[in-house]
Amino acid sequence: MTNRILGYYGQEVGDRREYLTLAFSPLSAPLRSRWRNNGLSADFLGDYVTTFLPADDSTAAPEGGRKEIKHSVTYIANELLENAMKYHEHSIDIPIGIHLELTGTQITVSASNGISDGQAQCYQTFVENILREDASELLVRQLEESSCGETSVKSCLGLLTIMTDYGARLGWRFEAHPTYPEIMTVTTSAVLPLKNVSGVSV
Amino acid sequence: MKTIKGESFGIQLEDGDSTVVFKGALRLSGMEDYAPILDLLKSTLAGPARPIVIDVRELDFLNSSGITMFSRFVIEARDHVGIDLRFLASESIHWHARSLKNLQRLMPALIVQLT
Repeated sequence: MTNRILGYYGQEVGDRREYLTLAFSPLSAPLRSRWRNNGLSADFLGDYVTTFLPADDSTAAPEGGRKEIKHSVTYIANELLENAMKYHEHSIDIPIGIHLELTGTQITVSASNGISDGQAQCYQTFVENILREDASELLVRQLEESSCGETSVKSCLGLLTIMTDYGARLGWRFEAHPTYPEIMTVTTSAVLPLKNVSGVSV
Repeated sequence: MKTIKGESFGIQLEDGDSTVVFKGALRLSGMEDYAPILDLLKSTLAGPARPIVIDVRELDFLNSSGITMFSRFVIEARDHVGIDLRFLASESIHWHARSLKNLQRLMPALIVQLT
């Protein structure tokens, strides 16, 4: 498959201020053992980002705004990590990554993992569907379908809630892996505009 | 009184089996793991119609699988004649206002009390 970008991905936002990347080896522990780490990592990113807001203490964001950002980053990081862990191609030792980046106008949380060509094809179709439809309507429809026991809508719900409940813009990058030609690296990125967070002006 | 406890959460069925209190952070890995909690929620629908209260005021975190669980419960509850279902939520916990509104779209008669 060829490299591809879908949605809102990697748009130029000017100065890059701070970033943090965590990487996990998928072979180090079974999924169930690693699940607890998703929460710990997401909580850590949520806590960590608030220390950057803002850099100048004299314009410190009100407590409500900081709490809101902390929760939003924690929720988004948790959902992206859960998906990356669940859908990672476990037979290959490619790290699963979660990346947090803060600029003057936005926070970006992105997660990357390896998937097979076939999975990449399915995921791209799924992403195109999300981008084509009204996310809010799609979310309610998926919630209705989930009551019928449709397990496949799970990751879709996580992504849709990031878009509709948290106002984040999603983007995806699909890249052929340089070492494993049968594997693609998919990076899912959520951009949270700081202007959408009440009380915060960086 | 029925209870379900995990490392980061506690759930209790109380007040004559019509109030379920959630505390902590719920981030289980999928519907299979949420099944016992969903069963506990559904048990409130048995018996005569009465107000059912889901108290999430101290539930600090809920992942999307947890949202799916509540959606399934609400979808089942809305088909019960004379159902009176309300969520007690907190304005200071940010997911409450954001996510519970979606449940109201599934069941317009659902009451969400934010305090």
